[in-house]
Amino acid sequence: MRRRDLLKLGALALTGACGSSTQQAGRDVPLQFMYWGSTFEQKAVDKMLKAFEQSKPGVTVKPLFTPDEYDVKLNTLVASGKVPDVGYVPMAMSFRLAEQGKLVNLFPYLSKYPQLTGYLDDAYLWYGADKLHGVATANEIELLWYSRSAVAEAGVTPPAVASSAWSWDDLIQNAYRLTVDQNGKHPDESGFDPRRVRQFGISCSITYAAAWYGFLRSNGADFADRAGTRCLLDSPEAVQVFQNLQDLIYKHRVMPGPGQLAATGDDVPGTNILLKTKRVAMVVDGHWSLLDMNESKVDYGIGVLPKYGEPYTTSQVAGASAVFAGTKHPEEAVELFAFHIDPRYVDLYKQGLWMPQERKYYEDQTAIDSWTKNDGHPPEFRTAVVDYARDHGVPDIRGRLKNLSAISADVLTPALQEIETGKRPAAEVLKEVTPKVTGLLQGWQHTQEL
Amino acid sequence: MALSGQKRMERRWGWILAVPAILGFLIFTAGPMVASLAFSLTDWQIGGTPSFVGVQNYQDLVRDELFWQSLSVTTYYTLGSVPVALIVAFAVAMLLNQRVRGLAIWRTIFYLPTLVPSIANVVLWIWIFNPDFGLLNSLLRQHGMWIYDEGTAVPSLIIMSTWGFGNTMVIFLAGLQGVPRHLYEAVSIDGGGPLRRFWHVTLPMMTPTIFYNLVVGVVGTFQVFNQAYVMTEGGPGNATLFYVYYLFRKAFRESEMGYASALAWVLFMVIVLVTFLLFRNARRWVYYEMAAAR
Amino acid sequence: MRWVYVALGLGAAVTLVPFVWLIRSALMQDAQMFVAPPEWIPDPFQWSNFTEALTAQPFGRYFVNTVVIAVISVLGTVVTCSIAAFSFSRLRWRGRDAVFAVLLSSIMLPYAVTLIPTFVMWQELGALDTIIPLTVPSWFAGAGGGVLNVFLLRQFFLTIPFELDEAAYIDGASPWRVFWTVVMPLSRPALIVVTIFTFIGTWNDFLGPLLYLTDEESYTLSIGLASFQSMYITQWGYLMAASAAVIAPIIALFFFLQRYFIEGVTLTGIKN
Repeated sequence: MRRRDLLKLGALALTGACGSSTQQAGRDVPLQFMYWGSTFEQKAVDKMLKAFEQSKPGVTVKPLFTPDEYDVKLNTLVASGKVPDVGYVPMAMSFRLAEQGKLVNLFPYLSKYPQLTGYLDDAYLWYGADKLHGVATANEIELLWYSRSAVAEAGVTPPAVASSAWSWDDLIQNAYRLTVDQNGKHPDESGFDPRRVRQFGISCSITYAAAWYGFLRSNGADFADRAGTRCLLDSPEAVQVFQNLQDLIYKHRVMPGPGQLAATGDDVPGTNILLKTKRVAMVVDGHWSLLDMNESKVDYGIGVLPKYGEPYTTSQVAGASAVFAGTKHPEEAVELFAFHIDPRYVDLYKQGLWMPQERKYYEDQTAIDSWTKNDGHPPEFRTAVVDYARDHGVPDIRGRLKNLSAISADVLTPALQEIETGKRPAAEVLKEVTPKVTGLLQGWQHTQEL
Repeated sequence: MALSGQKRMERRWGWILAVPAILGFLIFTAGPMVASLAFSLTDWQIGGTPSFVGVQNYQDLVRDELFWQSLSVTTYYTLGSVPVALIVAFAVAMLLNQRVRGLAIWRTIFYLPTLVPSIANVVLWIWIFNPDFGLLNSLLRQHGMWIYDEGTAVPSLIIMSTWGFGNTMVIFLAGLQGVPRHLYEAVSIDGGGPLRRFWHVTLPMMTPTIFYNLVVGVVGTFQVFNQAYVMTEGGPGNATLFYVYYLFRKAFRESEMGYASALAWVLFMVIVLVTFLLFRNARRWVYYEMAAAR
Repeated sequence: MRWVYVALGLGAAVTLVPFVWLIRSALMQDAQMFVAPPEWIPDPFQWSNFTEALTAQPFGRYFVNTVVIAVISVLGTVVTCSIAAFSFSRLRWRGRDAVFAVLLSSIMLPYAVTLIPTFVMWQELGALDTIIPLTVPSWFAGAGGGVLNVFLLRQFFLTIPFELDEAAYIDGASPWRVFWTVVMPLSRPALIVVTIFTFIGTWNDFLGPLLYLTDEESYTLSIGLASFQSMYITQWGYLMAASAAVIAPIIALFFFLQRYFIEGVTLTGIKN
């Protein structure tokens, strides 16, 4: 490929930004919708697309189902100027693509489509003043999942209301009671064999930011300062959070260490299975597990996370959805965008994979009932999830901090793994990594009220 | 004069028969390779416009801790896994070249680990490496942390990779069919035993195949990717940050295609250099029939 | 000979583990699959994993699509790679080894950085959404990664005694005739290896079909398999069952083709 072709490639990529046309309704409007997911999601999305086609005569939507290697495919499509009209975008890519002009600025459409203005504040993904490139596909928050029979055996009841959330000490105490080795001994009893634990009390990822970010905020700490240019992980409050997590494994021995669950970074085997087999009594994991819980018929319950000060959980833990610049039919594409996250047309809310982004689904009783009053949502869902998400959610840093995916992969995750392997105390590791993170920070993403 | 006629014919046919391969390279391969070399001289984030920056990426890379980390991890892995894989595969191929009953079944069984999809393999190996209940720790009566400890992560992955000996083994097996029987008979007539037959016939006659597997093994393991991608994600603490995994992350997670291309071309040069040395060294130990013909 | 059977038995016990693991997982409920310490006998036998997994996606169509791509690729690779390997090993021409070295270099550059330019190339040629990018290169000596096959065949061709060629040339044969009547018949094991590798490679290829096929009608088995494993959810029972079903044809293929790994009868008769 010669230099000219190289430029052509660049130009090709640029033209994507300038596509424009006005389309009359009633004509042939072909759209493409790119998404990932399981066969389960595939079914729901296909159904949603059919419903959209029926509601908009003349519009046809071709699904571009990409179950794996999504970022490889999307990067390739971006580079070759062959992007879809609407689709999911991995959070790491969405802000970048927006800044490059590859995603439609939805701000001007807010006045024409009032539905777009009804989402939760935290759902909106801004890339500058009055520049909106999309919303997180679904609202997802971190929860304390537990096995009902395991907690009943130990006489423990994880709270389902934020106001009565456990303190960290409560958590430890209850985790002791829930941790049993193969001889039935608890970690605080003599003869406890930490190599032969039958049931761990709790499991919470140390490397996955959404799992601990709520704790960090609850303890009055944060990942970065207000400007978003200085990392604060070496603050005493942050150190305490990570030291506490490390202590659960090595001091209290109530939480599995690396490899003990036969798990990898890919979340093998999954929270539903951990609870069903009672390998672990309580697991900190995202709301999306609900679908799996119901599918594999786990006897589960949902609680709120333990708190330090104010109770917080990480919210908006999902990828982005956006309209791609260069779509020949921006109006229809924006309509499809609104449609694909509308609980009226998508089964995934009732089935438990997604939580709505529209505010009314957390405030209006009829609206709340429309997605939670069914067999897939247990009675405590209202307080432990709906109210908890609305009043105590803090948006995931992955959708808020610039350059976080590089920071996370290159610097942060290796450091957190060191805390996880327990070779050095959290303070030492964090002190070392904080300046490195600071060196890579580029500030918070823009946010604004509607 | 007949010979020079043959030479002319060989020269003409040589080019003609090489044409499809050369065309294939020029049409499908050369362009993208040159393009990536060009990208390596640009600051190009996918979605943006590439801008020429000269050798800036290469300079950045020399200062990149993770570049050195990934290069050394990968070299470690290559040095460890290639010899082990060759020896195991050769031994199994010898075993499967015996005249035994049910040979087809034995061979298929030994090839099975290569066919089992990687995800099933990964789940299995996570169990084998499990510190509490794992097979390895039960057998060794130890409490090893295997892939979960920075010190033992790479050796553990080498052990795991050995199970994938099937393809190398099959090539050896095919190679063993080409060892002329009369050579074995000659050794036997001279009163040589099986060991002598192995050293003086099998091994020398197999050198072209061994050489192939060595080169391909080195080229392949320098580009090892999958274990880090599906199993360790480069961890713990970058202990298994394989070079191509790091490159892949830069290319498709950060979309930094300019930088990734520079990484790729550095690895390219490393592999070319090592392969060149292997080929030059091969003259000393690889036995080709061609030697006689030349 | 008893030691051979002992060694085979021991080896088989080890090499069967991954396969048995796959099969037992395919027949288990998700929860039992991950019980600690692991169990080997499914309880109950979850046969429905197979029926449900194989109907969750149109695997029949994916199977046909995959076979078409694999067969075209195998034919192209075997024919054109052996022709090229013959030229690079048994014909003497100027620049031969240099050309070979350049071709071989293509496997030394990580594919991640040529992926996009290659895609753009097929786009310019108007071949996206067809199986052309997945099959046509194999007819040019497996352009790209396929050059490994040229190298492999070259190595095998180099072990065939050159006297055979000389004798044929003296009888007035052309190189083409030498290729067909001398070299190819003696290289059957190597050709089988190339067949097996190419078939398995195409069968398991995920990224190629994912990038070049956009119509769900033309997806392949590997894409179907991937759909059981998504960002947040893995349907383990289905994934394992479908995986077992998908590798069955390649196990059968290997079983039937390995019989050609027997001493070339022709070679035994050759003496100087």
